[in-house]
Amino acid sequence: MSGPLRGLLALALLAGLPWLLPGDFYVNLASQVLIYALFAIGLNLLVGYGGLTSLGHAAYFGVSAYACAWLTTQAGLGPAAAAAGALALGTATAGVFGVLALRASGLGFLMITLALGQIVWGMAYRWVALTGGDNGIRLADRPVVLGLDATTPIGFYYLAAGVFAIAFYTIRRTALSPFGACLRGSRDQPRRMAALGHNVWLLRWLAFVMSGFWGSAAGLLYLYYHKFVSPQVLALQQSAEGLLMVILGGASTLTGPVVGAVVITLVKNLASSYVDRWYALLGVIFIVAVVFMPRGMVPGVAGLWARRRAPQS
Amino acid sequence: MIPALEVTNLAKRFGGLPATRDVSLRVMPGERRLIIGPNGAGKTTLFNLITGELTADAGSVRLFGAELLRLSPPARAHLGLARTYQILTLFPRETLLHNVVLALLGLRRDRWDAWGTLARRSELREAARLALDRVGLGGSAARLVAETSYGERRRLELAMALSQHPRVLMLDEPLAGLSQEERHAIRDLLDTIPRDVTIVMIEHDMDVALEFAERITLLHYGEVIVEGTRAEVTSDPRTREVYLGH
Repeated sequence: MSGPLRGLLALALLAGLPWLLPGDFYVNLASQVLIYALFAIGLNLLVGYGGLTSLGHAAYFGVSAYACAWLTTQAGLGPAAAAAGALALGTATAGVFGVLALRASGLGFLMITLALGQIVWGMAYRWVALTGGDNGIRLADRPVVLGLDATTPIGFYYLAAGVFAIAFYTIRRTALSPFGACLRGSRDQPRRMAALGHNVWLLRWLAFVMSGFWGSAAGLLYLYYHKFVSPQVLALQQSAEGLLMVILGGASTLTGPVVGAVVITLVKNLASSYVDRWYALLGVIFIVAVVFMPRGMVPGVAGLWARRRAPQS
Repeated sequence: MIPALEVTNLAKRFGGLPATRDVSLRVMPGERRLIIGPNGAGKTTLFNLITGELTADAGSVRLFGAELLRLSPPARAHLGLARTYQILTLFPRETLLHNVVLALLGLRRDRWDAWGTLARRSELREAARLALDRVGLGGSAARLVAETSYGERRRLELAMALSQHPRVLMLDEPLAGLSQEERHAIRDLLDTIPRDVTIVMIEHDMDVALEFAERITLLHYGEVIVEGTRAEVTSDPRTREVYLGH
């Protein structure tokens, strides 16, 4: 199947999905999957293509959600201005954190992003005057975006699907662009890239900021969906789950993080109503995937498929 | 005439260990310079100081008169400095063509383009193919580096550096690990490089390297011991003592 055809098919599936689902519960579940898939494909730019494992990605997700909630309820801004302000603040946070974290790579980078993420979490928790502390901030209602009424489950689903489709297309273009090739090069052979004339630091920082931007967009959708934000969105668990989605599905593939987000969100929401220890189930899935498909589910299944077809041809 | 590469009083210590001691050398435009010395003499360290992968403690490195010492490795590459590595430093999961494309992108502004499709840049692919043709790898452009032989990888190192049309080309043991036949093939290849490229080469294979170079610098314990023409250096008793071993 050619690229454009596959894209159209995926779009049709995305548009038709609410009509295939039995009720609002499942439409809402699909919306949640899309929010986390958006978060994961953004994180993948950094983890998969840049080779930089971040454990603080919830920071941009959370900063943007808090910023939008605060700008709407406290500063009295309209939905468009609040959303723009939230995206700008979330992305700017990524810009500053990127400068700090990119002093290192590998484990050092991971630890700095973790520490920065925890600082933001601590602020949300303790700076009660600004964030409401544990009580969080409540939003009166979801906005109407470009005539699309996001207050209904279907309306919100189409908002999330639209944002996700734009993000996926943009990230796909980035991955196939000269910039994407250079970013992957800086992951595999940073020394060589520098000797060839590439500014490795700037490549990584730009990937960090792009990744933070899409994380902020996901945070915005999260706020609209729940109409509520609390320090929980900034918790380490949020960052770790995002990273798990990327690795489980297949880092540095386009669809891997989406598959990871689907699996983890479904396990979290569906299995938790049947199994108390659903985290244990997630753990088992993760171990099985790592043992049998170390590069993730998407490359793993593609490999199995190729091997099954090979003897016939 | 301004030297292509002028190193003056260059020094580098690793902790208490001096790796480069007060090294000075002048390589004129178009020259072929060979750098020899026993293992641990500081040859690769000198290369890393010149390309900026290591920061010198003191001294000066000038490329056609321009001071390089405060510049980053990519900035030095943009001034016309290219190198190959003794320990192969390639992109093993990519095709040979893509390796050269990354080298070409290094000096192009459109490397920052995050929207256009790289695969559609036919002029880049064309230029990369020409560079591969030049080292005899034109037929292997679509193969992955991981599937090629060691000799082919050595050639790819050379193709990547040459594709950038450098003014000064630094070759770190381009013949290391190759068979006698492959060595002569690389040697013939080096002969085809035009004289507007100045070449500085580290090499242990005396048979091939001595014929190639016009001037030779002998390093020992991070210092320049002897420098001169081929005849001067090979007949110098200090060369025999530290390097030829008799």
